[in-house]
Amino acid sequence: MTAPTPHLTRDRTEQYLLGALPPEACAELEAHTLTCEPCARLLQEEALLEEQLYEIAAATPRDAVVVRPARWHRPAAVAAALVAVAASALLLLRPGGEAVSPSVTPVEAPVLAAREPEEAPRDIVVACPDLATQEHCLRSASARGLLVYHPGGQGEVPRYDASSGLTQVALSSRPAAL
Amino acid sequence: MTTLQSRQDTGRAARPAAPDEEALSRRALSGERAAWDALIARHQRRVVVSLLARGIRVDRAQELTQETWARLIQQQQRGLLTELRLPALALAQAAFLAADDARRARRESVDGTVEDLPERQQPVDPAQSAEKRLVSEEQLARARDALEQVSPGARNVFLLACDGQGLPHAEVASRVGLSVQRVRQILCEVRKKLRTALEEEQP
Ligand SMILES: [Zn+2]
Repeated sequence: MTAPTPHLTRDRTEQYLLGALPPEACAELEAHTLTCEPCARLLQEEALLEEQLYEIAAATPRDAVVVRPARWHRPAAVAAALVAVAASALLLLRPGGEAVSPSVTPVEAPVLAAREPEEAPRDIVVACPDLATQEHCLRSASARGLLVYHPGGQGEVPRYDASSGLTQVALSSRPAAL
Repeated sequence: MTTLQSRQDTGRAARPAAPDEEALSRRALSGERAAWDALIARHQRRVVVSLLARGIRVDRAQELTQETWARLIQQQQRGLLTELRLPALALAQAAFLAADDARRARRESVDGTVEDLPERQQPVDPAQSAEKRLVSEEQLARARDALEQVSPGARNVFLLACDGQGLPHAEVASRVGLSVQRVRQILCEVRKKLRTALEEEQP
């Protein structure tokens, strides 16, 4: 009925699942999977992998990836820091050549060095323990010339393009296509 | 009639949701349609992908996703929603509809009739719809090893984007000071590494 559409590639399917394809490309890819069984299977495989990645991320303790500069390390405070992390704000520091004096911690609350990387990482993520001390933490970090991103983030919420399609009628009229 | 309570993430550090997620949820619970629309936009993709992963055709996956939102809104309008925790609630509702869909298809194939299932009208308790484990312990261990090999920056991007709060890529990008495009590149790179880790020889 219509011109044949190209088969899916893994890369393109990834882009689709990431939401990175423009709407026309999405529509084309979707339409293709309705008529091509191997591509439908590829889409399912990639979607399943996506779900597995969500599961892995959810099962990865955040503490294990929050790396704090060793100079901010206070060993006595492991348990307290684990609690404190719950309300943490993230900032990103470039460790290259900063000179943090060991006598001053940027925060009042204890900070845990959860993981010490073997070699200096490109970026180090540090956590300000809670809202009460966060401002002081951010100020101290900036005062040291460290690159700080505001933890609140300023990202735009992407435009919603599905709302116009949201109808509450005739949604269950077809049998499953399993 | 049960009321909806979504599962508490106990014993785990708080995951970063988008800064306006809580406010949007509150407004949606009070019936504000614009807030619903914003939340739907944010979590739509995740719900569709969860259905695709079950092998549901993409057109049906989209229909079921719409029905998922329609039902959640309906439940809110009937005062059945006491808490709105997304995307978990939408994923549970979608899984419920998908299972129901499959049941229905089986019945049709058996006796050719479509039974009306009153349970479809009932809200879903996500705590009850036991989450299917997709990753074995061994796979998880290998995935963690693979994540250890990734730079802390990339790992952080992955965890921000995939830890289940539906943080938009634009928001991830803003938090780590990268472009959305770069964030997606990183996600693809991490994905490839984790794919390899998951696919390693099965016992
Ligand atoms: Zn094809």
